[in-house]
Amino acid sequence: MADDEFTDIHGKPLSLEYRFHSSFCREFIVSAPKVSLLKVMVYTCTVWLFAYAVFFVTENTAVLSAAILVTLVGMMLHIHFIKIDHETLLIIGSLGIQVSASYASGRESTTFIEMSRIKDIVINEAIYMQRVIYYLCILVKEPANPDSVSNVVPLFQSSKPRLNCLIKVYRSCQEILGQS
Amino acid sequence: MGADGAPWRKVLYERQSFPDNYVDSRFLEELRRNVGVRRYRYWAVVREAGLVAQQLSCVAVVLTLWSYMDQGQLTPATLLLGSVLCALLGYGLYRALGRGHSGERTRCADLQSATIFMAFTFGFSPVLKTLTESVSTDTVYAMAALMLLAHLVSFPYAQPSPPGSLSLNAALFASVCLASRLPGALYVFAMMTCAILVFALWPCLLHRLRDVAPCTFPWAAALVSLGGVAGLASLSPGGALLLTLTLLALTLLCPLLLLWLQRHKDNIHGPWDEAEIHEDLSRILRGKD
Amino acid sequence: MGQRKRARLKGTLASGTSDGAAAGLHGSVKHNVCMVSDFFYPNMGGVESHIYQLSQCLIKKGHKVVIVTHAYGNRKGIRYLTNGLKVYYLPLQVMYNQSTATTCFHSLPLLRCVFVRERITVVHAHSSFSAMAHDSLFHAKTMGLTTVFTDHSLFGFADVSSVLTNKLLTVSLCDTNHIICVSFTSKENTVLRAALDPMIVSVIPNAVDPSDFTPDPSRRDDTKITVVVVSRLVYRKGIDLLGGIIPNLCLKYPDLHFLIGGEGPKRLVLEEVREKYQLHDRVRLLGALEHKDVRNVLVQGHIFLNTSLTEAFCMAIVEGASCGLQVVSTRVGGIPEVLPDDLITLCDPTVSSLCEGLEMVIARQRAGTAPHPAAVHAHVRTLYTWMNVAERTEKVYDRIATERVLPLDQRLRRLRARCGPVAGSIFAFVAVLDFLFLLLLQWLVPDSLVDVAMDASGPKGLWAQNSSRDKNIRPKYQKSVGSS
Repeated sequence: MADDEFTDIHGKPLSLEYRFHSSFCREFIVSAPKVSLLKVMVYTCTVWLFAYAVFFVTENTAVLSAAILVTLVGMMLHIHFIKIDHETLLIIGSLGIQVSASYASGRESTTFIEMSRIKDIVINEAIYMQRVIYYLCILVKEPANPDSVSNVVPLFQSSKPRLNCLIKVYRSCQEILGQS
Repeated sequence: MGADGAPWRKVLYERQSFPDNYVDSRFLEELRRNVGVRRYRYWAVVREAGLVAQQLSCVAVVLTLWSYMDQGQLTPATLLLGSVLCALLGYGLYRALGRGHSGERTRCADLQSATIFMAFTFGFSPVLKTLTESVSTDTVYAMAALMLLAHLVSFPYAQPSPPGSLSLNAALFASVCLASRLPGALYVFAMMTCAILVFALWPCLLHRLRDVAPCTFPWAAALVSLGGVAGLASLSPGGALLLTLTLLALTLLCPLLLLWLQRHKDNIHGPWDEAEIHEDLSRILRGKD
Repeated sequence: MGQRKRARLKGTLASGTSDGAAAGLHGSVKHNVCMVSDFFYPNMGGVESHIYQLSQCLIKKGHKVVIVTHAYGNRKGIRYLTNGLKVYYLPLQVMYNQSTATTCFHSLPLLRCVFVRERITVVHAHSSFSAMAHDSLFHAKTMGLTTVFTDHSLFGFADVSSVLTNKLLTVSLCDTNHIICVSFTSKENTVLRAALDPMIVSVIPNAVDPSDFTPDPSRRDDTKITVVVVSRLVYRKGIDLLGGIIPNLCLKYPDLHFLIGGEGPKRLVLEEVREKYQLHDRVRLLGALEHKDVRNVLVQGHIFLNTSLTEAFCMAIVEGASCGLQVVSTRVGGIPEVLPDDLITLCDPTVSSLCEGLEMVIARQRAGTAPHPAAVHAHVRTLYTWMNVAERTEKVYDRIATERVLPLDQRLRRLRARCGPVAGSIFAFVAVLDFLFLLLLQWLVPDSLVDVAMDASGPKGLWAQNSSRDKNIRPKYQKSVGSS
């Protein structure tokens, strides 16, 4: 199932895909659009034009080779560490929640939180970059005192979907949390 | 009249039948304008302005004396002699005027302070002489001018005795600056004695004069002003003209300006003003012992 | 370019519809009110409790209320108080005395975001000491929202600082829709300070929750007479006068005791007096009091003494009277308007006059002719209630909902006409810059991209439907603070 009418807080389209593996196991995937070729071209052209301007003044070919190197390394770093292609929330009733983010290069970083440590999943509001936004987060219990919250794990941190998308995920999660 | 015929009252505890934004004819009736404003008379203000004029002239007198010494036309011995004479005369007058005052220092104590002071100034005058040697002359002059200006600005005209510490310090600093450019240690000593006389002791005498014999005060001020102008005239006629104009503006035009601006004063008072505590409450803490 | 046009169109459409809805349903219309002030819980004081109580009553009356204040230490972000009262603690730099710095612009992005996502119709700013309140009025007018301002304090006209602040107040209030003052004296003061038309200034007094301040004669010791003073120990509260009264009366009446609650720089004066006259057992200094402890202190006394030198309303004397105490106070500011003559003894702000007043009340107390605390309380509890304040404030909101907010050109003209050629021109220029900044923000983050907030209070408030709530609809919140 997929619904593609969602956007992130900056107005860029997002797609939310959710898979119901069974009644107590659901997976939500929020994917951002792929890196657009145009954007890559624009950045590359800017760097190279700048490099050529410097070359014109200094007449040193090392500048051009450095520019090529910078573009290549920059692109690799960007897809490996910054650009997140999609974020996944896998919730399995009675077992726990797995949160993973996969970068454009294919690298994945995954965290797993046991169900016994989860207090709840909530939608919260935060002040972010001169705006007030909604975000989804997991409340983690304090081991010593189950009533208090020791930690808050925000979900979909890089894609930042808007409220309508968050509510959809939230309701689904609550159904599963309610069962266990 | 409200809906039920009752007149409006300026109270909050009653639910009145008037809308919340009702404006009664009694609105702002407790407003008072310009309560307790002093109406100035022109000549009284001119008289008071004389104090400012004479202080300016004092500065002119000191500068004239310094200038004569700098040019070598005035020997330190003459200046010292003059200073001592003036001081003795002034002291006698001060004592004579202050007969009614209680808690006066004894003559012996005065003599003691004077001796200590003279001794110290005399002892330190070689030091003062070389104090600003490493500083360029232009800087010293600029500093002196600035300090004299600061002296004039910060002088406590309302309560000149004892002279305010900032104004006195500024004046003495200026004198040290100027004196250090004179040819010898004795010159410095003479200059400093003269400066102390004019900047520290003269305001005290003038204040007492104003207290005890108010009618003589304008004459004293006029005399000092005249002395300042005459001294400057012997050095530079242009400067004397400028000083005369400044003094006239200070004593005659500025009071006129004050009176004219007074008519535009619009001070509003009303029940919202912070109440002032008029009683002397410190006596409660002091009392009983 | 096309995107910017669309955004502006949407902006005007949105404001047009909300205006239409507000005007069409006059009388029963529910407002989305945003209270703005630098002063709010955890800070404590008259303005803070006014905002809190007024908001609570407006919520009960079905309006939606959110409060915007600045972050207090670790308390930042968004919090909820009782009955879904939502509070935004915005991270703005605090300058002086808990008031934020103002540059006229830097608070616009966050305030706009709050106004848009909460679909605010009325911006209600409190306290002339609060820079944030003035900023929010300025931005709200730029965004075309109706504005109300409540002035809680009195100002003189004599010194340079008041000349400056009064000029700023003139600029801030000249195009504000309505102003609320807490007493008639305060209204006269504000009208003069800001050169306003008195018709757009309403007088709505403060109130006291009478159930918080009930008498309890069993708590007081009737073998002696206790005078209670509860105020900050600062010069404006006339603590120097108090320092004069204490020894005077203590020498005369051996059974007289003083109970003084509050903290401040003038505590030294009282301690010195106590030391000098050896009154340690008769003058008790309790230090700073929590709001909940005030009643416990009040009920221990027979007489409530207020020595303020200036006061717009003075809630303290109402609290004292509500606890059944005899009130003696200085006749300053709005105090003579607050209590009927049989509940208060008014004196001039001098030691001798206050002593006379106190002696009169002491004599009455000794003779047993003073009214019974319960009777006094019963009288006071009818005088001021927060519900009444809320109803009267609601009327102000209803009234301004039908008014038109000045468009930019008229606003500029009014600034130039009312605030003088220099200040008027400067602030007209600032207003134009603010408008351009708003256009830039609307282009960067169009209103359509701002998520509309879930209402906690108001007609669609989710907290109001607590009893029949659907857990799946209502998002739960991480930090719901029980009460203030």
